[in-house]
Amino acid sequence: MTSILKVSSLHAGYGAGDILKGIDVELPAGSILTIIGPNGSGKSTLAKTLAGLLRARQGSIELEGEPLNELSAPKRVLAGISYVPQEYNVFRNLTVLENLKIAREFMGANGHGGSALDGRLEELFPELPKHYRIAAGNLSGGQRQMLAFACALAVRPKLLILDEPSAGLSPILTREVFERVERVNRTGVSILMIEQNAIEALRISHSCVVLSGGRVRACASAKDVLGMKDLNSFYLGDASNCI
Amino acid sequence: MLQTAFNGVVTGVIMALPALAVTLLFGVLKFPNFAVGAMMTVAAYLAFALNAQLGWPLAAATVAAALAMGALCIGIDQLTFKPLRERGAITLMVASLGLGFILENVARFAYGNTARSFAIELARPFRVADVRMNHEQMITIVVSSAAMIAMWVLLTRLPIGRAMRAVADNPSLALVRGIESPRVIRWTWFLAGVLLALGGVLIGMDRALEPPMGSNYLISVFAAAILGGLGSPLGAFVGALVIGVVSELSTLVVAPNYRIGVPLLALAVILVFRPQGLFGQPYIRK
Repeated sequence: MTSILKVSSLHAGYGAGDILKGIDVELPAGSILTIIGPNGSGKSTLAKTLAGLLRARQGSIELEGEPLNELSAPKRVLAGISYVPQEYNVFRNLTVLENLKIAREFMGANGHGGSALDGRLEELFPELPKHYRIAAGNLSGGQRQMLAFACALAVRPKLLILDEPSAGLSPILTREVFERVERVNRTGVSILMIEQNAIEALRISHSCVVLSGGRVRACASAKDVLGMKDLNSFYLGDASNCI
Repeated sequence: MLQTAFNGVVTGVIMALPALAVTLLFGVLKFPNFAVGAMMTVAAYLAFALNAQLGWPLAAATVAAALAMGALCIGIDQLTFKPLRERGAITLMVASLGLGFILENVARFAYGNTARSFAIELARPFRVADVRMNHEQMITIVVSSAAMIAMWVLLTRLPIGRAMRAVADNPSLALVRGIESPRVIRWTWFLAGVLLALGGVLIGMDRALEPPMGSNYLISVFAAAILGGLGSPLGAFVGALVIGVVSELSTLVVAPNYRIGVPLLALAVILVFRPQGLFGQPYIRK
């Protein structure tokens, strides 16, 4: 299977020190890759660096073989990367409809015409039109997450990066979020997901990477990881090599 | 009392324009621009040059000055604020104080301290229900209201307006939603320049043209923007009306010289009881 995303020897961070210390990750096209690891391991830093919010200090990021390092975040959106941050992932003072319009107008969708949700998104997020006039900041956590997904998918991205999509949600909503992620993936979108809720996330994933201390500690197929007896040691990055 | 309240409404609608400029700039660039007063002064003198010196009609001179001020503000940003953007709000605020000082003195150098006025025909005031209104006041209300409606349409109905509000709401999310912030910043400065030019001309019509004409309004303009809620365009308009009317009505009970104390008092009360203003969002540390 060809890779849609290839990250090689990536270094990035804030201030003087590096948080990511030589990350190598490859994502096969059309699959879901979940990145797990303890707090402070660099998961969100990796997501921000891929999205262009943080500059790569060393190493390379390629999307379908095209280098991304020099592209700004808005240019990466046009190249096909959609990123949903962990929190503050909708414009709280704008209505739901305005959030969706911005996604269509600036993320390279079909310009200014048409409805806010196309048929594909209407099927994925049937509840959103009911809330069009509500300020996004007044939505519940689950509704906000769905709106953030819908905005990120307005452009039919090649790669969707999700940073802890289940953070702060109830178990029922968490299941619903993962179900949507799976449905989005079935439409052909490759997904890189960062999750603390490892077991739920791995159930819908194809592969898994463990980050710890800014380095890749292990990588394996999601099925293999779920079958492990000592999942905790894997989660904490005890495995020395890719399985 | 009715007459005083009407005068307050006129003062309020004049202040609404620079208050909206302050709130737009603060929303997108996250710093209080204290050069807005001097920017109004410079724009008013630009209109004066075209109107009184070159003989243009005031309406045409105002439009030309507004467009020129919009372009000038983009240039000022590139030269002054852009190189300091990464250094934080305090640095930008101090830079704006210095810029205001320079701009006001450029106007003083060019036209001196003598009060001047636009070349407009004087017309007899008219009365409605015992309230005396003059033509300049009616023009002020119409121009300011039309500018506020145009800004509302732009901010809520046009993609660039939505982009400005998105950048004001969450700058890093705006980047990953494909919004190029430099373009939004240029538009914000241009619109602020247009609003400040209109405000400057209306102040010149209401009072007189003199170098401190803009900075005399600075405290009231910031009080209006803060009362309405920094970052809220509707708040800027409502805040300006409230400050204008209350300042004028205060002259019924205190000496007019103390009128300047009213916006300061309003500022103190707002910051104690509702720091986010009437229409602003509570600050959330991210």
